[in-house]
Amino acid sequence: MSKPVLVVGGGPAGLSAAQSLASVGQRVVLVEKEQDLGGAPIQSGYAKLVPSGLWAKDVIGGMVQRVMDNDLIDVRAGQTVEAFDGDAGQFTAKLGDGSAVEAASAVLATGFTHFDSVNKPEWGFGTYPDVVTTTQVEQMLSSGDGVKCPSNGREPERVAILLCVGSRDRQIGREWCSKICCTVSANIAMEIREHLPKCHVYIYYMDIRTFGLYEDTYYWESQEKWKVKYIKARIAEVTSDGQRLIVKGEDTLVKRPITIPFDMVVHAIGMDPNVDNISIASTFGIRLQKHGHIEKGSSYSDMCGTSRQGVFVAGAATGPETIDDSIAQGQAAAMAALAAAQGPGLVAAE
Amino acid sequence: MPIHEKSLIRPENLHSHEELEIEGVDVSGHWSTFIESRVITDYNEQMEEEIAALPGGENIHRCWQCGSCTNSCTVHAVNPDFNPRYWIYLIRTGMEDELLRDKDIIWRCVSCNKCTYACPRDVVPEAVMKATAHWLELKGHTEPSPSMQFDEEFSSQVFETGKIEESRVIRGFFARTGQPLMQEWLIEMGKRIARKLPIKMGIAMGLGFLFRPRTSNWGGAKAAINEYVKEQKAAQRKALGLNSGAGD
Repeated sequence: MSKPVLVVGGGPAGLSAAQSLASVGQRVVLVEKEQDLGGAPIQSGYAKLVPSGLWAKDVIGGMVQRVMDNDLIDVRAGQTVEAFDGDAGQFTAKLGDGSAVEAASAVLATGFTHFDSVNKPEWGFGTYPDVVTTTQVEQMLSSGDGVKCPSNGREPERVAILLCVGSRDRQIGREWCSKICCTVSANIAMEIREHLPKCHVYIYYMDIRTFGLYEDTYYWESQEKWKVKYIKARIAEVTSDGQRLIVKGEDTLVKRPITIPFDMVVHAIGMDPNVDNISIASTFGIRLQKHGHIEKGSSYSDMCGTSRQGVFVAGAATGPETIDDSIAQGQAAAMAALAAAQGPGLVAAE
Repeated sequence: MPIHEKSLIRPENLHSHEELEIEGVDVSGHWSTFIESRVITDYNEQMEEEIAALPGGENIHRCWQCGSCTNSCTVHAVNPDFNPRYWIYLIRTGMEDELLRDKDIIWRCVSCNKCTYACPRDVVPEAVMKATAHWLELKGHTEPSPSMQFDEEFSSQVFETGKIEESRVIRGFFARTGQPLMQEWLIEMGKRIARKLPIKMGIAMGLGFLFRPRTSNWGGAKAAINEYVKEQKAAQRKALGLNSGAGD
């Protein structure tokens, strides 16, 4: 029997890779640094996912359960890979608990880190309790507590969502679009309107990037059915008049400054490279691309490949990615890892 | 201190006092000049809801400010201040003062409906312009426009008898708009029609003038229409926070 495939990371991409490998009889060792599997959707308490509208705890929870129940998958939660040596077909990984894992190939599904809004202090996060992140609103919704201002528990009557917090911003070295925040924000805006019909929701944007089929189901739907308002302005600062938050900026369509009072301001936080990527790159002997994401091989000849033969990558480890695409990439990486594990040292076709 | 680039400031936003003394210092005239802030300090969500409650305004919230309506607009081509895209934005954000600056041109939409066919989101800007003009009238910001007066006269006759009689519509319209009945163009038109008009049609017109034509058994329809119109008007006035509008 061939050696197992090492899958690093138990989020959507890693779960998908592990499940796919096991489904064709391939043994897997799944290493997850947290105590529980599920990745960001579970660890960060996401509510209803895009685009299915299904609860994260149900559907990602279901993926976790299927992996946990699979005898071919050896789950090592609460562990990290400390060392990774050898060549394709005969790697040895050393885990934090001192155990060694023999692996034929590896899939890195190490994900991303949410942008930390304190790095944009002008937008008030960390200064005013009613400035929150999209992740916090997801938690308000998934916990069943409802959307309330953290300062005093009141239901907001007017909410601003600021897009591109930690994305598309050379000032803080983030020269990428985080891809999902527009759609997630439209989704959250609709949920707020559904739960609090008297609450007006404004989205401040530079561009709206609800790409592909998210256009009508999120962007249009949020405007047409839920009457969410979109204002083209990149906000200058968020302050307070002692009662409510004050959002300052320029309304670019009327070329006038705005200072609008809000009860709650939501940062649509972007997807940073995983904060551990430098050590992950060092441990696995792979290269990162210029923004700090894991460098991936050519889609045309080396799908899911990295700069090291036999080591593959899937999901948001390579850059901002949707949950659905992370799951698809997990399956694609599984195919590549399986070929490397079973084939006689296959070299990617050029 | 003179204000540089004064031409960029709207005259009404410049304030100064002819005679003003502050703490013993004479700051009369331009010494007391200050500029009113252009900052938008709040939104008024009510305004969009009011216009959306009027016929034609229903889809205003769909607008994403692409400008297709303004680009395609017949009136905009001759008057750049006629800007449906901009007005829709002012309504959606509740910038009433800004909208009122253009209150005397909003009703000039000629209903060519080019915007209706250009709009990618089916906002139906032509209908929104109608609703906006209607809103301005109901709120008392503008006098009822001539076209509105005509529509009122026309429909009141239809509601009353199930028919219209052209000369009566014209007379009613002139009465509503305070125009004299004897107008040169009308007299000239009457003369020319009289010269060419077949006798039979002339008699029919004369009878129509003397004995107002009615649709038979109109009573039931008239009651139903009047009730519906009354309901609609009451609902519109309520949406705009106005009194029930007795007399309509």
